[in-house]
Amino acid sequence: MTFKTWLKTITFYEILVGMKTTMSHMLHYKPITMQYPHEKRTLPDNYRGMLALLRYEDGTEKCVGCDLCEAACPSRVIRVVSAEVPGEPTKRYSKEYYMDMTRCLFCGLCVDACPVDALGMTREYEWSVYDKRQLHLNKEQLLAIGDRSFLVREKQLELQHPNVAFFNVAFKHLPQKPG
Amino acid sequence: MTELSLRLVVSLAQILAEMTIVMITVATMTYFERKVLGWMQDRMGPMEVGPYGLLQPIADGIKLFFKEDIIPAGASRAMFKLAPVLTMIVAMIGFAVIPFGPDITMTMFGLTIKPFVVADINIGILYVLAIASIGAYGIILGGWSSNSKYSLLGGLRSAAQVISYELNVGLAIVGVLLLSGTLSLVQITEAQAGGFWHWFIWGGRPDGFFPIHTQIFAFVVFVISAVAETNRIPFDLPEAESELVAGFFTEYSGMRFAFYVTAEYANMLLVSCVAASLFLGGWNAPYPGTILEYIGLEQLAWIEHIMWFTGKVYLFLFLFIWLRATLPRLRYDQLMRFGWKVMLPIALANIVITALTLYFFPR
Repeated sequence: MTFKTWLKTITFYEILVGMKTTMSHMLHYKPITMQYPHEKRTLPDNYRGMLALLRYEDGTEKCVGCDLCEAACPSRVIRVVSAEVPGEPTKRYSKEYYMDMTRCLFCGLCVDACPVDALGMTREYEWSVYDKRQLHLNKEQLLAIGDRSFLVREKQLELQHPNVAFFNVAFKHLPQKPG
Repeated sequence: MTELSLRLVVSLAQILAEMTIVMITVATMTYFERKVLGWMQDRMGPMEVGPYGLLQPIADGIKLFFKEDIIPAGASRAMFKLAPVLTMIVAMIGFAVIPFGPDITMTMFGLTIKPFVVADINIGILYVLAIASIGAYGIILGGWSSNSKYSLLGGLRSAAQVISYELNVGLAIVGVLLLSGTLSLVQITEAQAGGFWHWFIWGGRPDGFFPIHTQIFAFVVFVISAVAETNRIPFDLPEAESELVAGFFTEYSGMRFAFYVTAEYANMLLVSCVAASLFLGGWNAPYPGTILEYIGLEQLAWIEHIMWFTGKVYLFLFLFIWLRATLPRLRYDQLMRFGWKVMLPIALANIVITALTLYFFPR
């Protein structure tokens, strides 16, 4: 043991260095705490939050009841009951639409799969509830979420580019709809 | 009213005042510990209850008061109930001999009373040591009576640790006792009056500045042993959170748990008071006399004295928190080796050296 290490031992040199570190952290007090309910972090642009059903500008539902979201969902969140629009045999809509959000893993595959962009991911995330049955959402609740989160709605499909709109718009290599 | 009953009433009033001060200090300590620990770890500490979390101790107290009181099946019920009370009482009555302020006497109802020390007995420091050792019984009883392996291990560790480090505390103060020639805490503190170079940590003689009688090694041994004796990090083996869930009070809940926590903080406060009285001159200012005396307010000098005492005690309490924020827990064999093979020889050598220097250079 050299004299230097001996001196360091008897003066508690290493403990003092550690105590200096903690003291400097206290003097240069910069907490990294985010006081969550009082201050919230800014979300990234592509944040994937709560799912919602969307409407067109005039208030009609976008969903055409094609079941593609149900097929795309990896955790079987979605259940769609499709039906004909009364009086219009060529058009279909979702008579019932359920989402079991307890299982959702927010991958966004249903949003990608939707051919008419009827599904959207909002920026809501404060969805903790006391009763998990409250997370079993029906169509009205999902539409309500979409109504409060997406204030700017799309025009009806007929008023957009007519030559594009009647193709399956989920194919990304086709010309995209404006806006 | 006879003199005895009058004396009793005055003493009870004094005890009540002192208990109030101790309990308030304990409450603030629980707050400041969490706060300072947070600051040192780049956190904020309690912020929700009241402005900057100032009402957190009250919220904690109310919460613990209304919690369910659980006694585990197979526990020794009488011992289980006795243990936290014993720990708490022992932690509280140690303050009886601590002089918070100057040794002035005042006459009230025909009695001479000392307002800043409840009982000025001539074996004050021995009383503190004896009482502090009884505190280990509460911990061991609590650990044994819980009928839980974690509690039992915590209690056993506590017994071994308190015995090892109690010894060092006792030996570390012998140097101070040699220098002051008394066991009364009031007289020990009075012997250090007249500037910081008269404090026993410096050990200087009134006629010279060279610190021939310095007790700095005893002071270091005392502080380290005090940390170990109060079961604080880095010597918190009896309640090692990561090994034994909470050690001896694993099975305790509600107010019994609060008793243990209060006793821990009260013990911290007690050893801080003793360290301040023995080594840092107690109520004495680090300069001769007091400022209030110089500007002609002799009757208010006790305020300055009490402020100095409080400042020194809080310095120690801050050191406890600071150590907690910095150091990891020792391993059990390291703890024992450090206590018996490092601290004990230093304390013994300190006694010998102090005795020799006192023989050749009497004060």
